[in-house]
Amino acid sequence: MNLSILLFQILTGLAYGMLLFMMAAGLTIIFGLLNVVNLAHGALFMVGGYVAFAFTKEHVNFWLALVIAVMIMAIIGVLIERFLLGRMYGKELEQVLLTFGLIYIFTDTAKWIWGSTPRSIPIPEILDFSIPLGIVAFPAYRLFVVAVGILIAILLWYIETKTRVGAIVRAGVDDRHMLSALGINFKLVFASVFAFGAGMAGLSGVLGAPILGLYTGMDADVLLLSLVIVVIGGLKTWKGAFVSAILVGLVDTLGQVWFPQFSMVVIFVLMVIVLIIKPSGLFGKGVEA
Amino acid sequence: MNTKTKTFLHLACAVILLLLPLVLSKFGLKLTTEIFIMSIFVLSLGLIIGYAGLVSLGHAAFFGIGVYTVALLGKYVSSSYVLILAAIVFAAVTALLTGMLFIRSSGAYFLMITLAFSQMLFVLAYKLKDITGGADGMPIRATLDLGFGAIDSVKELYYFMAIAFMISYALLYMFIKSPAGKAVVGVKENEHRMKALGYPTRSYKLLAYTISGGFAGFAGALYAYFNHFVSTNVLAWQFSGQVMVMCIVGGVSVLFGPPIGAALFIVLQSYVSSYTERWPIIMGIIFIAFVLSGRGGIAELLIWAWNKVFGNKAEDKPTVPPPSAEPEGPNPKGVASA
Repeated sequence: MNLSILLFQILTGLAYGMLLFMMAAGLTIIFGLLNVVNLAHGALFMVGGYVAFAFTKEHVNFWLALVIAVMIMAIIGVLIERFLLGRMYGKELEQVLLTFGLIYIFTDTAKWIWGSTPRSIPIPEILDFSIPLGIVAFPAYRLFVVAVGILIAILLWYIETKTRVGAIVRAGVDDRHMLSALGINFKLVFASVFAFGAGMAGLSGVLGAPILGLYTGMDADVLLLSLVIVVIGGLKTWKGAFVSAILVGLVDTLGQVWFPQFSMVVIFVLMVIVLIIKPSGLFGKGVEA
Repeated sequence: MNTKTKTFLHLACAVILLLLPLVLSKFGLKLTTEIFIMSIFVLSLGLIIGYAGLVSLGHAAFFGIGVYTVALLGKYVSSSYVLILAAIVFAAVTALLTGMLFIRSSGAYFLMITLAFSQMLFVLAYKLKDITGGADGMPIRATLDLGFGAIDSVKELYYFMAIAFMISYALLYMFIKSPAGKAVVGVKENEHRMKALGYPTRSYKLLAYTISGGFAGFAGALYAYFNHFVSTNVLAWQFSGQVMVMCIVGGVSVLFGPPIGAALFIVLQSYVSSYTERWPIIMGIIFIAFVLSGRGGIAELLIWAWNKVFGNKAEDKPTVPPPSAEPEGPNPKGVASA
């Protein structure tokens, strides 16, 4: 394989990986702090994308649509946390039933409003060009996605290690009861965390739409990829999700070049290998008994 | 509730199920037949969720293995005995092998891993289009024949599935009453204590998981004979999710809960979808309303109502504890027989 084509593939994989990281980050943060497997994560991702699509179709600027969509998703997140999820912390089965019900509602509403024809958001004009790379050219939008992914990782790292909010969240992951005993309004913390996760789902949904498109059943694909990334990276650690998302992005993209028939299977094989070697995932803190 | 009442209720249910074809329409018969098959599947999931505490979101994998075994092997083998047995064995062996890997983790992690595994099979079946027919599916040519002629009319299938369901129920009932079944419940209630008592706790979970996989495979094989068609939908995670919803709605603390959930889900879905195209929204709202009501599954509600009406003082509990908090080893009626 020509070197510049290989570089092209690696960059494509990296961009895909960053998109996966943004998808999985929301899921892993919600799971890490709230101990909730939000099965509706993929549905939130999809709805975020569709909301932005609805605005851009009305000739609203892409960036404005992005901001609106993220805000709407965050608000939906707060509503879900306050009125539905808030009552069932620690009840695993109830959470499954609830988030599964939300999937039904979100996906069917999206289908109702936007139909089942595949849609897409056009790449914003300012990024609609390609950067020459030897004999091939690489789309600037994907590089932009890589940059956003790295930016989010840095932001998460900064919030987590350098700010008071991060300290509260880290304390919450380790010991939630102690947190409330210290007089911190954990209800507010929980609602914000869920809003943040839902907002991240919306953000990645909008940024992903020009690359992945928008289609019925997308929610399931997104949820599964996010779960695989979380399982490979290890639970409750977004850093694990960062590394495993890049890994999965590269493996999937290069896998499609080398074994086109088995692209998704390769990812799952990767997951099984990781689980055999390290059952708690790459960065997991050890298996629960 | 004493053992005599329990036996009576079980037998009464069996008689009702056997007499139902006298009153049901052809459509109703088909729907009930489907409920029997799904009930076996849901029972298998209820076993690991309710009794072993393993919340799997990938149980469709074993069901799918059962369906595809009959579909693919059925091209070469005609004996129904061999095909059904093969479906059970393949599913159980897969459960055993994957269980060894997965049961090291628990809780949400187990849920995600089982989901990912079933999705791996889904993608495999989807990509191997030449063999499995992929998402478009393939017809199943095998016919059900136990040596007394083909079982293919609506009524024959009804009775076959009804009896298959009753046998499965009875076998699972016997399992949870057996010392091994009680040990499984013990592991769920307090794994550390069971370990301290010298029980190989992981092996007991694995046992339950393997049995569950086998029954799921059995249900899959029956479905193949019932539906005569298979597509990758039987492996899809949405299917696993639906089955899990059936389990939770029915109630997992007792064995008769999951079948009730299956019956309710299937009847409701067929009813609502005949009125509106927007049935998923309505089903979603019903699930959420159900969770918010917070009274456990329907089985728990029934037990509560039974105790209200017939219970003596010792059994008259004002509220039903949630399934996970149930201190007793669950007995099939879920009530501590004082």
